[in-house]
Amino acid sequence: MTLETEVQSLRQVPMFRDVDPARLKLLAFTSERVQFAGGQRFFSQGDPSDAAYVILDGRANVLLNTPGGEIQVAELGGNALVGEMGILSDTPRSATIMAAEPTTALRIDKRVFLELLAQFPQMSLAIMRELAKRLERTNAQLVAQSSS
Amino acid sequence: MEKSLFRYIWTHSKRDQMIICAVVLASLPFYFMSLDLPRQIVNQAIQGEAFRDGNPTAPFLNLSFDWPGWLGGSTWEIFEGFQVSRVGLLMGLSFVFLFFVIVNGAFKYWINVSKGVLGERMLRRMRFDLFSMVLRFTPDALRTVKSSETATIIKDEVEPIGGFIGDAFITPVFLGTQATTALVFIMVQNVWLGLIALAVIAVQFTVIPRLRRELLRLGKQRQLAGRIAEVLDGIEVVHVHNAYGWEKAEIGHRLFNLFTIRLKIYNRKFFVKTLNNFLAQLTPFFFYAIGGYFALRGTLDIGQLVAVIAAYRELPPPLKELIDWDQQRLDVQVKYDQVTQHFAEDRLGPMLEAREAAEADQPLIGSFVGEDIRVAGPHGDLIIEGGAFTVELPASVALISNGGAAASMLARILARRSLEFSGRIRIGERDLTQLPMVVTGHRIAYAGVDPILFPGSIRDNLVYGLRSKPLGRLKEDGQEMDRRIAEALRTGNPIESISDQWVDYERLGAKDEDELDRILLDLLDKVGMGDTIYLFGLAGRIDPERHTSLAERLVEARHRLRDTFQSNGMGDLVEPFDPERYNSQATIAENLLFGVPISDEFKGRNLADNAQFRSAIDRAEMTDDLVQMGLQIAETMTEIFEGLPPGHSLFEQFSFIGADELTEFEAILRRRGRGEGSLRREDRTRLLSLPLAYIEARHRLGLLDDAMTGRIVEARGIVREVLEKAESGGVEFYDPEGICAAAPLRDNLLFGRVSYQVANARARVAEAVAAVVRELDLQEEVERVGLEYQVGTAGRLLSPQERASVNLVRCLVKRPDILVIDGALAPFDEARSQQLMQLLLELFDQQSLFMVLPNDRQAGDFDVQMRFRDGQIITDKTAAPAPRPSSPKPDAPQRIAGEVA
Repeated sequence: MTLETEVQSLRQVPMFRDVDPARLKLLAFTSERVQFAGGQRFFSQGDPSDAAYVILDGRANVLLNTPGGEIQVAELGGNALVGEMGILSDTPRSATIMAAEPTTALRIDKRVFLELLAQFPQMSLAIMRELAKRLERTNAQLVAQSSS
Repeated sequence: MEKSLFRYIWTHSKRDQMIICAVVLASLPFYFMSLDLPRQIVNQAIQGEAFRDGNPTAPFLNLSFDWPGWLGGSTWEIFEGFQVSRVGLLMGLSFVFLFFVIVNGAFKYWINVSKGVLGERMLRRMRFDLFSMVLRFTPDALRTVKSSETATIIKDEVEPIGGFIGDAFITPVFLGTQATTALVFIMVQNVWLGLIALAVIAVQFTVIPRLRRELLRLGKQRQLAGRIAEVLDGIEVVHVHNAYGWEKAEIGHRLFNLFTIRLKIYNRKFFVKTLNNFLAQLTPFFFYAIGGYFALRGTLDIGQLVAVIAAYRELPPPLKELIDWDQQRLDVQVKYDQVTQHFAEDRLGPMLEAREAAEADQPLIGSFVGEDIRVAGPHGDLIIEGGAFTVELPASVALISNGGAAASMLARILARRSLEFSGRIRIGERDLTQLPMVVTGHRIAYAGVDPILFPGSIRDNLVYGLRSKPLGRLKEDGQEMDRRIAEALRTGNPIESISDQWVDYERLGAKDEDELDRILLDLLDKVGMGDTIYLFGLAGRIDPERHTSLAERLVEARHRLRDTFQSNGMGDLVEPFDPERYNSQATIAENLLFGVPISDEFKGRNLADNAQFRSAIDRAEMTDDLVQMGLQIAETMTEIFEGLPPGHSLFEQFSFIGADELTEFEAILRRRGRGEGSLRREDRTRLLSLPLAYIEARHRLGLLDDAMTGRIVEARGIVREVLEKAESGGVEFYDPEGICAAAPLRDNLLFGRVSYQVANARARVAEAVAAVVRELDLQEEVERVGLEYQVGTAGRLLSPQERASVNLVRCLVKRPDILVIDGALAPFDEARSQQLMQLLLELFDQQSLFMVLPNDRQAGDFDVQMRFRDGQIITDKTAAPAPRPSSPKPDAPQRIAGEVA
C-alpha cells in the first residue's frame, strides 16, 4: 500500500471529500501508517487527544467506560475517521478505541492537522461543512426523538 | 600590576634584556667590519692600492695597531699577515667578507629568536597575571566588568605588547648607537654642520611624536564592538519591542562618529608624514647652503662636505625606526594603560592565598555564633541591623525569608559568597571571614539560583568541586616535564600539570574513577536524574577502550534483546540490520553503506557528492535508478508542498526538500519536462541526494520493489569494497558480532531500526531494552556512558531541572560540612522540591544544612529556624523536629524506559 492508496482512502472519508487532492496527499504524507494488533488500543477514554486516525484496513470497536465496566457502543470499519472531534475541540478522549482484529490505520498528528487547517482555508471550509452537516443531522434526530 | 609598562618589562626580564643587549653591542664591530670590507676590496685588491709601490705581494690579515702620538706613536704589530698576490688578496678579502656576512646573519638570527622568545615568555606571564587577576575581581567589579571585554584584553590587546617587549630596550640601544656613530662622525668633520643636523633631529623627535600621540588618542575612541555584542546579547528584547529602527540609528550614529574620527586620523597622519619628509630634506638644504658657504670660504674642504652628506644618508633609516619604535611604545603604553585600568587595584579582591598548611583544616562544627551583623542593601538601606544568632553545628537550619533579601543575603554571607557585612561570625574559635580558601572550598558548598555549568561532560561538571589540587600521581616524561616546569618558573606560571590526577578519590571514600562514578550515579539517582542519565547513556557513544566491560557484553545484550523480541511476539517491532537483507525501516543511504558515517563527507547530503561513494554506486550501476527515484521524489514533493509558505514548520519536519530548494528542483523538473535530454551533473547530484534519505516504511512513496531492494543489498558489498580500498575511514561498517563505536549505544543494542508501522513500537521497544539492560546488570555501565553527555555552553543542552540537579550533585559529592541552599530547588515543582528537601535533610544528618525557604510551611523539618524581622535575626529551636523519614523518597519511582528512537 502506498501514498496513493492512502489518498484514495482519505477521499472516502466524508470530512475530506471536498479537499483538494494535492492537500490530501500532503495530509497522507505527513501522517504515519501504523498497525495495531487485535485487542491493542488506539487510545483510551480520558487520554489527551494527540491524533486522529483513519482506518485503512481492519475493524475497531468503540468502548465506553461505565460503572459496570467497558461496553462496546459501535464498530468502525474501513475508511472510518476516529478521534477528530477530540483534536478539534482539544478535549480528552471521550471513548476508547480498540482494534478488533489486526488493523492498519493512518495516524494524523494533531499539530500537523491543525497547521494544515490554518494554512489552507479551503480545507477548513470542507471540515466546517462536514461539521455543520453533522449538527444538522443531530438536530434532525433530536426533532425526530422529541416528536416521537 | 605595575603602572609603567617599562618597569613591568624590566622587573621580569632584565636578565634576558641585558644579555641580548650585550650580544647586540658585541655584534656591532662585526657589522662595521662588513660595511668597511667592500671599500677595502675595491681600493686595495681591485684598484691595487696595496700594490702601489710595485710590490708583487701585499700582507693579508695584517693586524696592527697604531699607538696615538702622545703614547709614542709607534705601531704595534700583532700579526704581520700572509704575503699574497693580487688575486690572492681579492679572494682572501672576499672570503673574509663572506665570513662576516655569515657571522652577522648568525648574530641577527640569534637576536631575533631571543627577542621573540623573550616576548612570548613575557606575553605568557602577562596573560597569566591577568587571568589571576580575573579570579580576583570583587563582586562589585563583576557587576561592571564585561566578560567579552576582559577576554578580548587577555587574548588580543596584550598581543602587541608581547611583540613590543622584545624590542623595548634592545631597539633603542641598537639604533641609538648606530645613529650616534653617524652623528659623531659628522661632528668630527664640522661642528656647525653637526649642530644643524642635531637641531633638525631634535625637532623631529619632539614634534612628530607629539602629533602622533594625538593620533593614538583618536584611535582609542572606538567601542563599536562592545555595543554590537550588547545588541546581540539582548537580541530577544530588540525583537520583542521592535527596536530595530532605534538600534540601527544608534549603530549608524556610531559609525558616523567612527568615520569622523578616521577622517581626522587620515588628515593628521598624512600631515605628519609630509612634515617628517620635509624635515628630513631640510638638513641637506642646510648642508648645501651652509656647508657650501664654508667650503667657498675655505674652512671646510670638499671631501669633508661629501663625507658629511654621505654620513647623513646613513642617519635617516635608524632615525625613522627609532621614531617608529617611539610610536609603537606609545601605542603599547596606551594599550597597557587600558589593561591596567581594566584590572585596577580597587576592582580586585585580596590576593588568593596559595596553599595553606593543612593544620587549619578542621571540621566546621561547634558553636556557630554571629554578633552584631549589619548588611546594607544596594540602596544603602540596612537589611540586617545588629542581627545575632547562635547555632550548635552540625544542625539543619531553615532561613525563612520574610519576602525581602535578608535570608538570601545571610545565606551568601555564610557561604562566604559575600563579604560585604560588618560584625563577627565565628565557628568554634575561628572567624568565618578569616578561614582560608582551601578550607572553605572543601568544607562549604553553596547552591544558588543560577546553576553555572562549564562546557564539557556531566562528569566534568560534577567533579569540578573536587579538583582542589593535583596529587602528583602523574608519570611524566622527565625531560619534557623539566622543560615544562622550567618555563613555568620563568614566566610565573603554575607548575602543576593539568594531566595530573586532580581528584582525590580516597577523600571521597572511593578507590578509583569507577567507584567515584558509582557515587555520582547514586547521587544523581537520588536527586531524580537517574532516568535522564540512563537515556543520555543510550544516546551516547561508547569508547571500546574506556568501556571495555560494556563493549564486551553489548553483543550479548543484543542477542538477548533479539531473543526477548522473538519470544514475546514482538519480532516485528524492530527490523534488524542483516547483511543479506534490505532494511525497510532505514534510509537507502544506510542500506547502501550498511554502517555509520564518521566523517562529514559521508553524512547527509554530502554523501551524494562523495567521489568514492559515487564511483561505488556507478560500479553497481545504481546511479541511474537512484536519480530516477530522485526525480519521482522531487515531483511528489513539489506537488504536495506547493502553496506552503517557505519556512513553514512542515517543511522542516517532513520534506526531503528545504523550502528554499523547492524552486531549484522545480527548475530541474521543468528542464527535464521540456525534454532537454540528459541531466546536468549537478542536477544529478542534487536528485541523487533525495532517495538517499528515503525510508520506504515511513515515506511510502512506493519507490522500491523487491528487485530494487535486492540490487541495493548487492551494491552494499561493492560500496564496502570501494570504501575499504580507498581507506577513507569515513564509515564504520555494521558487524552483527561487533560493536559499532560510531553509532549510539541504543543502536548497538537494537542493531536494527524500530518499525514505523507498528503502533506504539517505540515505547514498547524502550521497555524491552530497559528490561534487558536491567537483567544483564548493564544499567550502571549505560549510565556511566551517560555521564559523558556534553552539557553545552552554560549547560544549554540540559533542561533547567537537569542543570539544577547537576549543580546540586556537584555540591553533594564534595561532602561539605556546611551546605547552603539558596533557591537551587526553584526550577522544580513543589512535590519534587519537597522530596529533594527531605533528601538533603537526610543526607546531611551528620553535617550542617542551611536552606533558604520562601515561607515556614516546611520549616518544621529543620532543627533550627531563623526568621528575619525588622533587621533582626530570630532563632528558634524546633521543639521536636519531625522524625525524618527513613527513606528520602517514600515511593521510589519505577524507572521509566523513555523513548528509544
